[in-house]
Amino acid sequence: MHPTEIVINDYVDDALAPAERADVDRHVASCAECRALVDDLRELRRAAGSLDLRELPVRAWTRIERAIQLEARHSTQNTQNPPKGSSLRVLRSTSGWTWLAAAAVLVLATAVGLRVLPRAPRTDAPANPPGVAVSIDTAQSVEAELRQAEAHYEKAIKGLEQIANAEQGALDPQTAATLQKNLSVIDQAISESRAALRVEPTSEPAQQSLIDSFKTKMGLLQDTVALINEMRKGNEAGTARIVSGLKPKG
Amino acid sequence: MEAVNLVQRCQAGDVEAFETIYRQHAARIYTLACRMAGSPEDGEDLLQEIFLQAYRKLGSFKGDSALGTWLYRLALNHCLDYVRSRHAKMSKLTDTLDADISYQPIARRDTPIARLDLERALERLPDGCREAFVLHDVEGFDHKEVGNLLGIAEGTSKSQVFKARAKLRALLR
Repeated sequence: MHPTEIVINDYVDDALAPAERADVDRHVASCAECRALVDDLRELRRAAGSLDLRELPVRAWTRIERAIQLEARHSTQNTQNPPKGSSLRVLRSTSGWTWLAAAAVLVLATAVGLRVLPRAPRTDAPANPPGVAVSIDTAQSVEAELRQAEAHYEKAIKGLEQIANAEQGALDPQTAATLQKNLSVIDQAISESRAALRVEPTSEPAQQSLIDSFKTKMGLLQDTVALINEMRKGNEAGTARIVSGLKPKG
Repeated sequence: MEAVNLVQRCQAGDVEAFETIYRQHAARIYTLACRMAGSPEDGEDLLQEIFLQAYRKLGSFKGDSALGTWLYRLALNHCLDYVRSRHAKMSKLTDTLDADISYQPIARRDTPIARLDLERALERLPDGCREAFVLHDVEGFDHKEVGNLLGIAEGTSKSQVFKARAKLRALLR
């Protein structure tokens, strides 16, 4: 008889008492199937324990830096005499890119706030009237939230597009062309997701695909704004870091 | 550069000092966030939230532990909050594993598991067992610690990790 799943896993984890371990040793020595299972689980543990660190997204620091700077400005504006240690000195606060920072933080807040769609209905919602199916309410709730998310994303994207379009002359033609190509690919994905939702409004993959496409578009536009900022600051390393992340899509 | 010195500079408003801290520790935190959240997009959102929170809370870092340990703990707590919040909102149940996973022994694989394949397979695990697997098999916590972190019993941690392994084995064969 094969050892149970729990025993095999405990065996792989070296969590068995000596006597039980000896029993499994004997079984595994004579059972090819269990030996294969043990080998697989050990390989899985080895692989899991030696995974590499992920490469950081190129735009992540720029977004954090902007959020910190915006928070510092709020802190300075709202407090006449800030307590020692809590006021934040704003670095490189040239007036030319204050509005870029504000836009980027607005988008960050939007993205963070909407990332768990689709959601289950709120538990504090009124009870369903008799005869109304819960599943219909759930579908309508998800659709309503999707529409709300779509409106938020479109608003944020529109703001970023205005900034990026107004400043795009600052970019070299090759980078501008790459950005435009990437935006076209993402717009195509948005169109396809919307088309799929028109056919099947409750399709979770299509809903997720639409949200993912919006997030991708926002990320690209944020990269564009970040790139313009770095170029204005004359930060060649920052510029190169962002440009290296703008690989053509599709 | 000395961590305490960097922290003091940050508290004086030096954002470049904070960028140095970010460059030293962000990759580990981003990796943890991606794996706990199950997607690089959510991982990036979490990374930003964690570092903003770290910037605000730097005053509470007293140098009793290494800065990396302090940041890791902050990141882990933030990821766990996110996971709990998502569990409360979404109906993705780990019980579905029982229906589609057979624990019957299968043919032995001949090649080592590619890291990229494992990362992708991790993203396909259901919530619940993914977090337990990441904390136990990737991050190295024992089942008692995983239970405490996730607010589940030690035995439940075991069963979630074992389910994750079974699912991963099926996905990777």
